[in-house]
Amino acid sequence: MKKLVRNPILVFFSLFQPIIFLLLFTQLFSGLGRFLGAGILSYTAFATAGIVLQNAFSSAFQSGTAVVDDIKSGFLSKMLATPVNRSAILFGRLLSDVFRVVVQTVIILVLAYALGVYPATGAIGYLLVIFTVAFFGLAWSGISLALGLKTKSAETVFGIAGAVTFPLLFMSTALVTADFMPPWMQDVSTYNPVSIAVNAIRNPITGCNVAQRVCNIGFDWNTILQAYGVIAAIGLVTLGATLYLFRKVVS
Amino acid sequence: MPGIIDVSQLVKTYGDGTKAVKGITFSVNEGEFFGFLGPNGAGKSTTIKILTTLLQKTSGFASVAGLNVDSDAAKIRKIIGVQNQDTVVDEDLTGRENLVLQGQLQQMHGPAIKERVDDLLKIVDLVDAADKRAGFYSGGMKKRLDLATTLVHNPKILFLDEPTTGLDPQSRAAIWAYLKRLNEQGITIFITTQYLEEVDRLCRRLAIVDLGEIVAQGTPGDLKQEIGADSISLGFENSSLNGGDVRTKARQVLEKKFDGVSNIVDSDIGLTVYAKNGSYMVPELVRAFDEAQIRLSTIGVSSPTLDDVFLKHTGKRIRVEEVSSANMRGMFGRRRR
Repeated sequence: MKKLVRNPILVFFSLFQPIIFLLLFTQLFSGLGRFLGAGILSYTAFATAGIVLQNAFSSAFQSGTAVVDDIKSGFLSKMLATPVNRSAILFGRLLSDVFRVVVQTVIILVLAYALGVYPATGAIGYLLVIFTVAFFGLAWSGISLALGLKTKSAETVFGIAGAVTFPLLFMSTALVTADFMPPWMQDVSTYNPVSIAVNAIRNPITGCNVAQRVCNIGFDWNTILQAYGVIAAIGLVTLGATLYLFRKVVS
Repeated sequence: MPGIIDVSQLVKTYGDGTKAVKGITFSVNEGEFFGFLGPNGAGKSTTIKILTTLLQKTSGFASVAGLNVDSDAAKIRKIIGVQNQDTVVDEDLTGRENLVLQGQLQQMHGPAIKERVDDLLKIVDLVDAADKRAGFYSGGMKKRLDLATTLVHNPKILFLDEPTTGLDPQSRAAIWAYLKRLNEQGITIFITTQYLEEVDRLCRRLAIVDLGEIVAQGTPGDLKQEIGADSISLGFENSSLNGGDVRTKARQVLEKKFDGVSNIVDSDIGLTVYAKNGSYMVPELVRAFDEAQIRLSTIGVSSPTLDDVFLKHTGKRIRVEEVSSANMRGMFGRRRR
């Protein structure tokens, strides 16, 4: 945490992209608001969930490059030569990543508030959003950590991150509704974990179930619980792989 | 009596089949300043990693303070201090914060850490810079801070892998002075380095490893005496003579005319000749080479040094590597995020 505060430039730039996205996309696609049902939901409110998730997504990929840096700089070795618990080293890394995502999410939500996006489900809804994002970030960090531990190359992690992030993000309901997509992409989007997660974040922010075009429904627990199931499944696989690879690096 | 470090028939074969350590045996006594020398790739770092529980051995036996490196790894970590080749300090934290963090990693608490950190800052002369961020430190200061972080928990044994490589002579001297003081306070020091003068001055005993095997061990004095001869280093003006290699010609001359020569080894500039009473031989040598039309560019005589010991056993001169800019980055620490 001290590191983040001491590195304001890093914090600024890691927020730069989501802020730009929030400002640009909401302008670029503002016409899409029509499709959401006139007067019910602004595109800005719709897109906030997508931007929050996109930020968590790209932020999670930084964990992988950080762990590569730890290995290459000798910092990991130095920690391993101390009595610190092995798994604590890994979980410390994950926790700090989650913390960063949470801070970024709060900033995005505050900015969205300034743009007129008010939480339909109140403060509790936003706490749920932050919790969901943290949970998603944790599961997704597992992928980048596993890649970092396996390849020990920051470039590879970045490359794969880019190749994975954009298709998954754009073939999801992060920035547009499903009926805006060609049919084949709708199918992809339905099973895209990003869509599933973004729907669970969007519901508390908007109070809507956008796919069914209904609003003012409060918490849509079906959507939310489905997302938690999917995220947990992903997390189990990715963090399991991370743990396995970490043990291999450590011994 | 068992030593504080005991290694016997230690073998490490890596996954790709590389045999880094091929059955080495040595022992270090409590309180000793022990040098572990060898050319690059000899297996020094691998051995240190096994002893510091960072790497699993393939076979053989190794213990630190009577604790088995396999079964008692956690206990070993509490009593050793380890400095890697890379300088690892967190550049976003101040010197003091770095030390406190390391204290926490060593599971120390509250006032005990504060007191210890104040002491260490004094020991490595960083009191004035203690509250500046380590990112602003010079290379020598970072190295001193890194050394201090290895000492936070009062380790009984200090493992140092090339602690002074890449430092300017003044910083190097400072580090060695701290190490000497620490050793006098009773800490056992196990060190790899490329600076032989310092080894000669400070190490009670040393081992030379080459290609994964120990090729010599003993006190610096004994090892030098073993050579039993002065070394005469010869440099030639030309590398070839009448179409033949000048070194071959020179060897023929030496072997034919000089009985006192005990060994001849190729060096970077020409040959190194080992002989009893080397200085008396010089006039004759010059005359003999002159007759054979071998032109000398330099000639020098010296009593045996550790460098000669090293050369005799490994066939290489130990060489302090050029510090390229790429290495510097690693050596002086990186930014971590």
